[in-house]
Amino acid sequence: MAKSVIPIGPYHPLQEEPEFFRLTVDGETVVDIDVNIGYNHRGIEKLSERKTFDQSTFVIERICGICSTSHPFAYTRAVEDIIPVEVPPRAKYIRTIIAEGERIHSHLLWLGLAGHFLGYNTVYMWVWKLREEILDVMEILSGNRNNYAMFKPGGVRRDINPDDIPSAVKKIDSIIPTLNRLKKAIVDDPVLHVRLKGIGILTKEDAIDYCALGPTSRASGVAKDVRKDAPYGAYDQIDWDMIVAENGDVFDKVVVRVLEVFESIKIMKTCLKNLPEGEIDLNIADIPPGEGIGAHEAPRGETFHYVRSDGTNRPARHKVRAPTFMNLPTCNSTVIGETISDAAIILASIDPCYCCTERIAVRNEKGKKIYSGKDLIRLSQQKTEIIKRKMRIK
Amino acid sequence: MKLPKIRELLEAIKALITGPYTTKFPYKPHTPHQNFRGQPKFNPDKCVGCLACEAVCPVEAIDHRDIPDPQNPKRIMIHYTDTCIFCGSCEAACIADNEGIKLSNEWDLAFFDRTLAEETIEKDLELCEICGEVIACKDHLKWISEKIGELTFSNPTLYLSRLKSLRVIDENLIAASKDYGRSDRTKMLCARHRRETTLTTQ
Repeated sequence: MAKSVIPIGPYHPLQEEPEFFRLTVDGETVVDIDVNIGYNHRGIEKLSERKTFDQSTFVIERICGICSTSHPFAYTRAVEDIIPVEVPPRAKYIRTIIAEGERIHSHLLWLGLAGHFLGYNTVYMWVWKLREEILDVMEILSGNRNNYAMFKPGGVRRDINPDDIPSAVKKIDSIIPTLNRLKKAIVDDPVLHVRLKGIGILTKEDAIDYCALGPTSRASGVAKDVRKDAPYGAYDQIDWDMIVAENGDVFDKVVVRVLEVFESIKIMKTCLKNLPEGEIDLNIADIPPGEGIGAHEAPRGETFHYVRSDGTNRPARHKVRAPTFMNLPTCNSTVIGETISDAAIILASIDPCYCCTERIAVRNEKGKKIYSGKDLIRLSQQKTEIIKRKMRIK
Repeated sequence: MKLPKIRELLEAIKALITGPYTTKFPYKPHTPHQNFRGQPKFNPDKCVGCLACEAVCPVEAIDHRDIPDPQNPKRIMIHYTDTCIFCGSCEAACIADNEGIKLSNEWDLAFFDRTLAEETIEKDLELCEICGEVIACKDHLKWISEKIGELTFSNPTLYLSRLKSLRVIDENLIAASKDYGRSDRTKMLCARHRRETTLTTQ
């Protein structure tokens, strides 16, 4: 039986991120898939070890443009876990508001892209228009549409001005009618049903085996959410529901995300209404030696940070585990057996984020040796030499 | 099958009536929300040149250049607009009531030549009278003396700088005696020479 290999990447034409999928197909059906990432490694963990605890938050924020709250949230929780301290209630609420705003715009972004992947550009344009309103809300609350720079170990950097809250709530409310119509348009649309129902099924067993996280696991019936399982921030003081679907196909992943947007709007509005008075910052002076962990339910799943301190004002070690690291391998169980035309949307259905995931890139392929630390240093020096020669720098 | 299409049609008609959502940006200027974090700008009247902003800046977008010219010593505070990430750490760390450097609403920062992407202000420096080393900005010493009140008069560098700025002492008088001994303690000195003149037996 003749099999052909179809490469997608190393620069994905639709997702516009550097990743490489090698699909082995038999006719129309995908029989094998190989994922290569590692084109986007920037050495952020090392960089954060060279900055102070306070300055590191800005590097961490730039791990990913969309998760610009999730990573600082997990990082600041890890640093606070070293001491350990509890942040003041007002800071907790502000953190929750910013985190949920990010979840709304991240889910809307993915929803638009999913429409774009399917050739349903009406949804793409509609949803991104809605997203603008949320980005404006974030500009009112934090001062920027993205990269909010609100988090710091021990609290938040800026307070939310009570005068800004009514205009922010009004803007959030303004998207609800359109979002409702959009929900109906997506849930009822017969074309989307045909295109998405029953494809790329991730069974509950597989979701548990692959340790899938976030909406990917919740669409498969695994009720897992850090905000519910180990509450932090203001999530235990607010009434909200975890959205869980049963089938695990792409359609359910869409539905879970759409419904989560409504939950996030609910959380955000409740927090803005019940914002407690008081301090926003603990003004932590120094961090004792020790290690701490922090987790946050990012839009894509649980983000996990580990920070070790040696008593100086810089982290001695910082480790980042992004949700896509766990979600990406599920394509082994979802893509194989489907047709190539469906592969693009199934691969996109986990809402992958490669710049979050790429912390180190050492691959073990057949016959190739794994590099040791010394080899990696040597390789990097050789590469620098080549670049220098090319650019004629002495 | 028909209902979703009718809904889409309704949205399309609505879009026809309301017009496009996009703004006419290059023709109509964009005004950001007042909370928007734009380019940080120095306030030459408030800034004391203490370099706190330079120390906290996570991307090293704030820098300074000292010109220790004995006639007219200057400190040039530089803000590089190309590397700035508008995080607001400088404003939060500013000792002059957070007004020495402030985030503005300025967002249009495109430029062709990267070397021009900087904003500078000048501050007057105070130099050590023995070695000519930089002590601090005049405004910084004034800020310290205002903070510590009467205790200023325990430190010649602080009170002389203050009196000089008020023009109540004759500068030629202080410069006259120079023996690098204990008598030099009542001069404006850098940390090293304050130590040396205190420990000397001359």
